Amino acid sequence: MGFLVTTLIFFLAGVVASLSVRLCCNGGPSINLLRFTLVVTATVCCWMMWAIVYLAQLKPLIVPILSEGE
Amino acid sequence: MGDYHSHGGGRGHGCCPTMDLMRSEPMQLVQIIIPIESAHLTVSYLGDLGLLQFKDLNADKSPFQRTYANQIKRCGEMARKLRFFGEQMTKADISPSAMPVTRTHIDLDDLEVKLGELEAELIEVNSNGEKLQRTFNELLEYKLVLQKAGEFFYSAQGHATAQQREIEAHQVGDGSLDSPLLLEQEMLADPSKQVKLGFVSGLVPKEKAMAFERILFRATRGNMFLKQVAIDDPVTDPVSGEKVGKNVFVVFYSGERAKTKILKICEAFGANRYPFTEDVGKQMQMIDEVSWKISELKTTIDVGLIHRDSILKNIGYQFEQWNHLVRREKSIYHTLNMLSLDVTKKCLVAEGWSPVFATSQVQDALQRATYDSNSQVGSIFQVLHTNESPPTYFQTNKFTSAFQEIVDAYGVAKYQEANPGVYTIITFPFLFAVMFGDWGHGICLLLTTLYFIIREKKLSSQKLGDIMEMTFGGRYVIMMMAIFSIYTGLIYNEFFSVPFELFGKSAYACRDSSCRDATTEGLIKVRPAYPFGVDPKWHGTRSELPFLNSLKMKMSILLGVAQMNLGIVLSYFNAKFFRNNLNIWYQFVPQLIFLNSLFGYLSLLIIVKWCTGSKADLYHVMIYMFLSPTDDLGENQLFPGQKTLQLVLLLLALISVPWMLFPKPILLKKQHQERHQGQSYTMLQSTEEMLELDHGHSSHGHGNEEFEFSEVFVHQLIHTIEFVLGAVSNTASYLRLWALSLAHSELSSVFYEKVLLLAWGFNNIIILIIGFIVFIFATVGVLLVMETLSAFLHALRLHWVEFQNKFYEGDGYKFSPFSFALLAEDED
Repeated sequence: MGFLVTTLIFFLAGVVASLSVRLCCNGGPSINLLRFTLVVTATVCCWMMWAIVYLAQLKPLIVPILSEGE
Repeated sequence: MGDYHSHGGGRGHGCCPTMDLMRSEPMQLVQIIIPIESAHLTVSYLGDLGLLQFKDLNADKSPFQRTYANQIKRCGEMARKLRFFGEQMTKADISPSAMPVTRTHIDLDDLEVKLGELEAELIEVNSNGEKLQRTFNELLEYKLVLQKAGEFFYSAQGHATAQQREIEAHQVGDGSLDSPLLLEQEMLADPSKQVKLGFVSGLVPKEKAMAFERILFRATRGNMFLKQVAIDDPVTDPVSGEKVGKNVFVVFYSGERAKTKILKICEAFGANRYPFTEDVGKQMQMIDEVSWKISELKTTIDVGLIHRDSILKNIGYQFEQWNHLVRREKSIYHTLNMLSLDVTKKCLVAEGWSPVFATSQVQDALQRATYDSNSQVGSIFQVLHTNESPPTYFQTNKFTSAFQEIVDAYGVAKYQEANPGVYTIITFPFLFAVMFGDWGHGICLLLTTLYFIIREKKLSSQKLGDIMEMTFGGRYVIMMMAIFSIYTGLIYNEFFSVPFELFGKSAYACRDSSCRDATTEGLIKVRPAYPFGVDPKWHGTRSELPFLNSLKMKMSILLGVAQMNLGIVLSYFNAKFFRNNLNIWYQFVPQLIFLNSLFGYLSLLIIVKWCTGSKADLYHVMIYMFLSPTDDLGENQLFPGQKTLQLVLLLLALISVPWMLFPKPILLKKQHQERHQGQSYTMLQSTEEMLELDHGHSSHGHGNEEFEFSEVFVHQLIHTIEFVLGAVSNTASYLRLWALSLAHSELSSVFYEKVLLLAWGFNNIIILIIGFIVFIFATVGVLLVMETLSAFLHALRLHWVEFQNKFYEGDGYKFSPFSFALLAEDED
């Protein structure tokens, strides 16, 4: 699907999540900022994890060598 | 006023909008002057509010010198009586039922009187009951003696008489020196005269029966006849109250001395004696009488027990309420003891810390107390200014409190410094999940914790065991951990170590249709990279470990560098908040440059190598960047201009070290000198201020600003060395993310292949079931419990050490307000 497309998907997911958190539980500017920070942190963490694993497999230096009897 | 601050101790303001939980609530030191008549009620209302931490103004007084020591003694007495009631209730198996009693206000004095009465009544009932019980047991024993002894009495008597005659005949014949003891007997002269024997009857414990017989024999020189019969069922001993196996005995003797000896021996052995009549008619009468008495006593005892139970039940209805009241009163008096008595003896002065937002609530409570106690004068509330460091207070809810506790376990945040708890809410479960990654196990964890969360209300009021208590307290943490584990499990593509093709076809396929060299040369990449996670074809291959190890190690470095950079950025925000420019320019900037020119560059190299697919050896690149930076890179060249960039970064790293070390102490010294040039004016202002404050607050900032340059320099040196060496060691420490993740996946795969698949291979249903059960136990015990704890611990360490030592000071103290709600938690 491509690196950039999936990155965009993660970004949009983060935007949607923070908007929905804001809409469903609105509590005041300081609490909203906290919740926004948490959502952003979670999105960034998940994206980093995915991106690392994806990039590692883009141009691999070794290939799977099946074991005997598989 | 107090606007000149020593560096780092000032009140700052945020550069950015305030975020909940990021910094401690602003706290203020307040002083409340309370008239004596409304003191008790005021403290009670403040305890209900729970937002004021009282300072102990009588710290130098012993507990007995304090004003309200008597009241506390009274409360202690009442608590003792309540404990006594509690014990009695447990003995009688009555549990205190929380009858929905209306919250009637119970006066403490009334309660004291009532408790005293109840205690006296209960003690009396108990002692009466014991007496009756003892009499009852004695009667039972008496009845046994009457029954059993009656059976063998006459034959035994006959034996004894014959024996005695023999002994006397022997004596008359001998006339020897060792005359028997029984000289008082008249029968020496006349052997045919009726032998007068006395007897003692009673019960003796079975275990002592042999010794009893022997001692009797020795004491009376054989001049006695003992007959014992065992009783089958154990009898309740009247003295000890326990069930003991006993024998009924009858001892025949002659003479007074023998009698006294036998009586003493009976007492020594705890043998209870009961009278026995020789008259047969009387015996039957006695038995009937005793039986009647026994049944009467039984009814009396039963009635007594019912009475006692009803008393205890009545106590039980109000037990919790009374307990609560006594605890509350005791805490109120303890608090009142902390207030200092004004010179006029007409009012109490209280000092305490309170959040700024609670001002109106506190004033409201004070007003209500004044009104309710019909006092003429209201309480005075004023804010004091001090340089003392306030306690740290974060307003947490049930979700964030667990994470905040994790952070506080290492060190409570200094007043108003950045709280790592904010990021810990996400990064802690995330790092756990990196080490735990298996979506099957994640689902199991999630189900367990959802059970706890759904039955939250019910479980929080119950009393759980220690381990359950901890697990229940951390239910939201575990829930986050489980959710992230499901995500990383999907990325690592492991479901109980089995991969699935959930996101499209694998990128690898055989070279040709026959798959001849799949086990020697391997597959080739025919499609674009697998879109989400690790390609499923890797699992079980021979080259799986080299690939995954390389991936996970690099991932650990990347995640670690990211988290450490976050830590350094937080230190920037701290410096900004406390308006500490020194820290920004001479600590934050060089730290950022040092870390990123080395390990940020390494991260960049990793990403470039992945994107270009180059065969460069990154170990080689990093090491030779230091050893021979001017050498040609050759095949380790990843991008043009690399050599120049490496030289530049190396230089930046090298100059950032003295940048961290030298300027700050020198500039601090300069600042100190500037500040104390107008020393005389400063002193005048400070003495005025000190008169304003009532009691000598230990004013830190005013007088004792001695500046030891060597101390400051050494401190900075240690800080620099710690950072520089720490940069390498902390980055390497993040490799535990790789290590634990590898361990988890290997364990999981071993259990799957060597237990489940092995059992499946036998094609036998019983072996399959056994294998399945072993698999379940191994998975739950090793992977779900041990691995969870292990990954939890390591993620915790990564946060406490590697993340927090970039910015966290953690030398504050926690806000512990006077609150009745917290009191109840403490007691339980």
